[in-house]
Formats: sequence, structure tokens, C-alpha cells
Amino acid sequence: MESNTVHEFPSSNNVISPDTDQGGDPWKFLKWLNPGFVLPLLAGVLFLLLWELQIFHRIFDLKKYQLPLPSAIAEAMRDNISLLLSYTGYTLTEAVLGMLIGSGCGFLIALAATAWPRWGGGSLTMVAALNAVPIVALAPIMNLWFGDGIGSRAAIVTATTMAAMAINAYKGMAAVDPLALDLMHSYAAGKRAVFRHLRIQNSLPYVFTALKINATASMIGAIVGEFFFSSRGLGYLLSNSIKVAKMPLGWACIVLAAIAGVIFYLVVERLEKVFIKWHPSRRT
Amino acid sequence: MKLNRALMQRRALPLLVWICGLLVLWEAVSWWLLHVAKTPLAQSKLPYVHEVALTLWQYSGTLLREGGATFGNAGVGFLIGALSGVLLAVLMSFSRTIEQLAFPYAVASQMIPILGLAPIIYGIVRDEQMSRIIISGYITFFPVALNMLRGLRSVDPSALELMHSYAAKPWAVYWKLRFPAALPGLFSGLKIAAPLAVTGAILVELMGAQRGIGVIMLRNLYYGPSHTYMFWSTVLVGALLGMASYWLMSLVERLVAPWQPEFRPQGGSR
Repeated sequence: MESNTVHEFPSSNNVISPDTDQGGDPWKFLKWLNPGFVLPLLAGVLFLLLWELQIFHRIFDLKKYQLPLPSAIAEAMRDNISLLLSYTGYTLTEAVLGMLIGSGCGFLIALAATAWPRWGGGSLTMVAALNAVPIVALAPIMNLWFGDGIGSRAAIVTATTMAAMAINAYKGMAAVDPLALDLMHSYAAGKRAVFRHLRIQNSLPYVFTALKINATASMIGAIVGEFFFSSRGLGYLLSNSIKVAKMPLGWACIVLAAIAGVIFYLVVERLEKVFIKWHPSRRT
Repeated sequence: MKLNRALMQRRALPLLVWICGLLVLWEAVSWWLLHVAKTPLAQSKLPYVHEVALTLWQYSGTLLREGGATFGNAGVGFLIGALSGVLLAVLMSFSRTIEQLAFPYAVASQMIPILGLAPIIYGIVRDEQMSRIIISGYITFFPVALNMLRGLRSVDPSALELMHSYAAKPWAVYWKLRFPAALPGLFSGLKIAAPLAVTGAILVELMGAQRGIGVIMLRNLYYGPSHTYMFWSTVLVGALLGMASYWLMSLVERLVAPWQPEFRPQGGSR
């Protein structure tokens, strides 16, 4: 978990500046046609078109009930929209709740590991090991402990999001500028003051990186948790509609889960922009 | 070497204490649940450590065989996914057009709950072996591709200029400069992906398969309290498989790219 898998779009390619439309430039709309924006869009449309025209079905020898067409998925989505939305809300609640608890615990572990490196470092290793435990192995245990309510999925998400936060926040707290540390020492600042004014500040960008990783991971945790022990939520609906051979509905769940995940991620990114405005990477 | 050993001891001792402490705590809480709190299903919730260890030992043959099946399938998918990820990263670093085409989707796919696709893929393929490999490969693919691309791009420009001034051929630039520079990125991608690949493989087994650790896990879960220890053993084996995959990647990284700062006896800026 050293690095962040979630990248930002190459900003130079798809910046569309709104303040350039002075006068009646007839070619204004061409600005939208820069390759960084149009190419992926075209590829996506082409992909959907090939799918709709059943080209993939012919290549891989699939039947329509195995891989439903996009139009069928859209139809299933429209027919069940209220159910899907309420389940999305339920799954998102689990994900957000679990992520908040998990990230909070992770941050505390990082604090402990920085404050008492010798003994706290061990806890960091333990959390990293916990991260390698498959979610599917955690799910039945959490179900035994917390019943089949919202708590068990929140606990799964907590367990899966703790490590990324602990490791990232620790990196941020450890990698402080040695000069700044010297300055604090020369002011005879105590451990607490060093934490308050230096280390926590320094860890914030790392914390947000971890939060962005966790936004994605928590959706996965919540959905996989719902596969097995739930009577509500997108994961439950997904596995259930596949069991009764309603593939379009299953795909609709995936689409909604993806949309919810993206929104979750964007919200975290927005918060990052608000909270660490001062960071060099945010300056223009 | 001496320094290394001292460092190991300094790090290993607290870790050992942590592990032992947790095990003792576990045993104590387990006893407390069973005899003091008298929780229903106490042993299912937190079984005695020694009983689980005993079961682990007794059924080590079965567990090893099934765990091996899971690990092998996850490994095949992982290798395929990693190879195609590296290939895509190299293609993206060659051509701007391919990058513009693929990169947004690679990023977007990171935000889709990939494991959520598992039942759908299983539904399409209807073959446990195939779907395990597909899901493990799919999960591996994107972290590897994205991290590798970032590594390929992070080459020191002056080193690139030097290569140009020597009139180095493109393959020489890749082989001598870009690939070594990309190795740390590649390995952080691999380390993220390896436990996920194992998770994916187990997930497929839970949905229905003949062999693998997930199958016995589910079976013992449904048999109820009498199979508690076996169930916990399978959970432990699953956890160990995930950790082993991570350790394996770290080990390979140490062998292939030993020059990185975190492997130095005393890390640079820490």
C-alpha cells in the first residue's frame, strides 16, 4: 500500500477553460474537440455500440441472457429506479460509516506509531497484515459478531480501510522537514506541540490520499459484505438478481455502484481542495 | 550484517510482543465469552486459539491442498493480469493516442467496485477455473498498469538527454533507463494487486466451485457450531494466503530492485 492507485486525469489534456469565449468565435466549440476529451468519449460510444450490436456476443460466443445489452440494462434501471436508489443509499451509508470509523482508527494508530516508534511501529505492521486478509474471510466473522444489520458491513469496511490510512498518515507524520523539527526543538516545544503544529499539518495531504483510496475500497467492502449476509443493499440485489437470472438488473446494480463510487470519490476530492488549499500542489 | 541483525532484533521484538499479546488477549476474551458472559455461540464468535491451532494442524493436508488450488489459480490470473498491465503501460508510454484513449477508462475503472463484478463474470463464464483466473487478472491489471506508467514517465530528464546524446536506440532507452526507473512503481502496483487477486479467487469459490479454500469455508459455516474450528482455520488460511502473496511480492522486489531507499539499513530522510 505504499502508493496511491487512484490517479488524477492529466490536467493539461482536458482543461476546458470557460473564460475564452469573447466575441463570436465560430470555432469555439472546437475547443471541446481536443483529443484528450474526444478520443475516450468516441471509444466509449464505439464500445457501447459494438456491445449493443452484439458483436461481443459473436466473438465470445455469448448469449443475450449471459451478457445483456446496454438497452436492456437501461430498461432494468428505469423500471426499478426507486428500489435501486434506496439500496444505493443503504450501501453508501455502510461505506461512509465504515470508512469514517476505519480512517479514524487508522489515524490514531499512525499517531501512536509516530509518538512511540519502538512499540507503536509493531501495531503498524499488524494493521498492514490485516490489510492483506481477504475481505471475504472477514465478512463471515463480522457477520457473526455484529449480526446482519448495518453494523457488520460497516465493520468490514472499517477493517479494510484502516491500513491505508494508518500507513499513509504515518508516512506524512514521519516525513516532516528536519529543519522545521530543529526549529521546534530550539523553541523547546514539547512532543504535543510538535504534533499539533507540525506533524499533523504535514500529514494532511497524505491523509487525503488515503481517504481517496478508501473511498473506492469502502464501496468494494460494503458490496462484497452484502453478497453473503444481507437482505438489503446493492450487493444483495446484485447477487440475488444473478441467482434468479435477471442479468440486466445485476448490471444495473454495477452501474449504480460505479456512479455512487465516483460521486463518493469526487466528494472526498472536493473536501481535499477545501481543506488543504495551502498545500503547494494546490497553488496556481 | 551485524547492523542488519541488530535492526532486525529491534524491530522484531516489539512485533513478537504484539503478536503474543494479541493471542493471549484473544484466548482470554474467548474464555470470558464462554464462561463469564455466556454469550450464545461463544465459540463461533471467538474460538479458543489452541483449538483452532489444533484443527489447523490436524487438517493441514486438506487445507494445504485446497489453499494451494486457490493460490495457484489466483497466481495464474495475477501473472496474466500483471503481464497485460505492463504491456498496456509500455504501449501508453509509447503513444500519446493510446494513453488518451485508455487512461481515463483505467482511472474510471479504479472507482468501479471491481469485486462487485465477480458474480457477473461467474454468471457469464460459468466455469470456476476460468472465472477465478479472469477476476484475479482483471483486478491485477489496472493497479499494475497505472503504477507502471507513472514509473515509466518518472525518468530523470537529464538521464534521458544523456541517452539521446549517445544516440541510444529506443529499445536501449527502455531497457537501460525506463524499465529500471519503473520497477518501484511496478512493484507497488503488484503489492496492491496480489492480496486482491487472492480475495477475488476466494470470492468466486464462495459463489460456487468444486475446489479451493472458499468452498470449505462456506461449507463449514453452514454446518454450524460443530464446525467452528474448521471454519476459523479456513479463515486463517485465507488470511495467510493474502499475506503470503504480499510477502512474496516484497521478496521479489527486494531481489529485483534492491536499490530502493526503504531497503537501506537506515532510510534516507527518516
